[in-house]
Amino acid sequence: MIYIMIVAMGLVVFLNRYLFIEPRLPVRLNRGAREFLGFAVPGMLTAICGPIIFLADHKLNVSLANPYLLAAICAVALMFWTRNVLITVLLSMGLFYFFRWWL
Amino acid sequence: MPTALPHYAFGRGAIAVIPLSLACAPWGLLAGSMAIDAQLTPLQAQGLSAIVFAGAAQLVAIGMVKGGASLISIVLTTLLLTSQHLLYGMHMRPTLSSLNARWRMSLGFLLTDEFFALVNHYDRETFNRWYALGVGLTFYIIWNLFTLAGIVLGKSIPGLDQLGLEFSIAATFIALITPVVRDVPTVVCVAVSLLCSVWLSYLHWESAVVVSGMLGMSAGFACKRLGVGATQR
Repeated sequence: MIYIMIVAMGLVVFLNRYLFIEPRLPVRLNRGAREFLGFAVPGMLTAICGPIIFLADHKLNVSLANPYLLAAICAVALMFWTRNVLITVLLSMGLFYFFRWWL
Repeated sequence: MPTALPHYAFGRGAIAVIPLSLACAPWGLLAGSMAIDAQLTPLQAQGLSAIVFAGAAQLVAIGMVKGGASLISIVLTTLLLTSQHLLYGMHMRPTLSSLNARWRMSLGFLLTDEFFALVNHYDRETFNRWYALGVGLTFYIIWNLFTLAGIVLGKSIPGLDQLGLEFSIAATFIALITPVVRDVPTVVCVAVSLLCSVWLSYLHWESAVVVSGMLGMSAGFACKRLGVGATQR
């Protein structure tokens, strides 16, 4: 039962990943579609971040006493300032734990 | 970059993905230890990471197994939870679909959020399949090693999900999003996506990520078509 589940899940995930890479699939991306997909990085990655920042433990927290929110704002500022992904991630992680301990 | 030597490009990709791989460490550990906690055998627990290779879907499926959900509902939830990959595939279609079947299948299998975050900005001229393989395969191996560590440690990791380690994922994605937010339509896209993702996740929508992502993308696209903020470009 569990093995069937694993294989079925694997197939579903692979289908999602592979479908539009298959060249025989008759899809041609026009200019509009490409422009739309140009928003994929900010749109999709933001949608993954949103619940992490505002919904820790599935409780809505929009106050400034939310360490996730404070550290996320710092991460944006750090990225503007340093232009370096690794430094931004490490420093904002450090700040996150500082805020959690402090608040 | 297309002319770079294969092993050199592979190494560059492998190094580029290491910070992100480490950011996912807590989820990998959790995927392993939660599977054991839900009475899966170690082989089944590792099989999830080796065959499914989708963090969020794995954790949710394990939770559903524990709750006694049916196979159909688990598979459907997986379909919804990972449907953002359809968009990634469409976005990468110009570069990936021209590869031969072996490369297409391999890179398709390795197409995760993290892979997309690092490889999406290459076009047909600058794309290097070895770089992409370095990113994808390194992430796959590290993900499976952390799952293995989670299986071995089992229930002996107390309150791993309470440590707030998932912030590392948000931090990494914020660092990747910030540089591309350069015009008004993109700001609108981010704002709509953020609001919708929090709202829909709060309502327990399983497809919250893909629906809010697409709403954000549509809003950005609409602004661009309407010429909002066009003078700032």
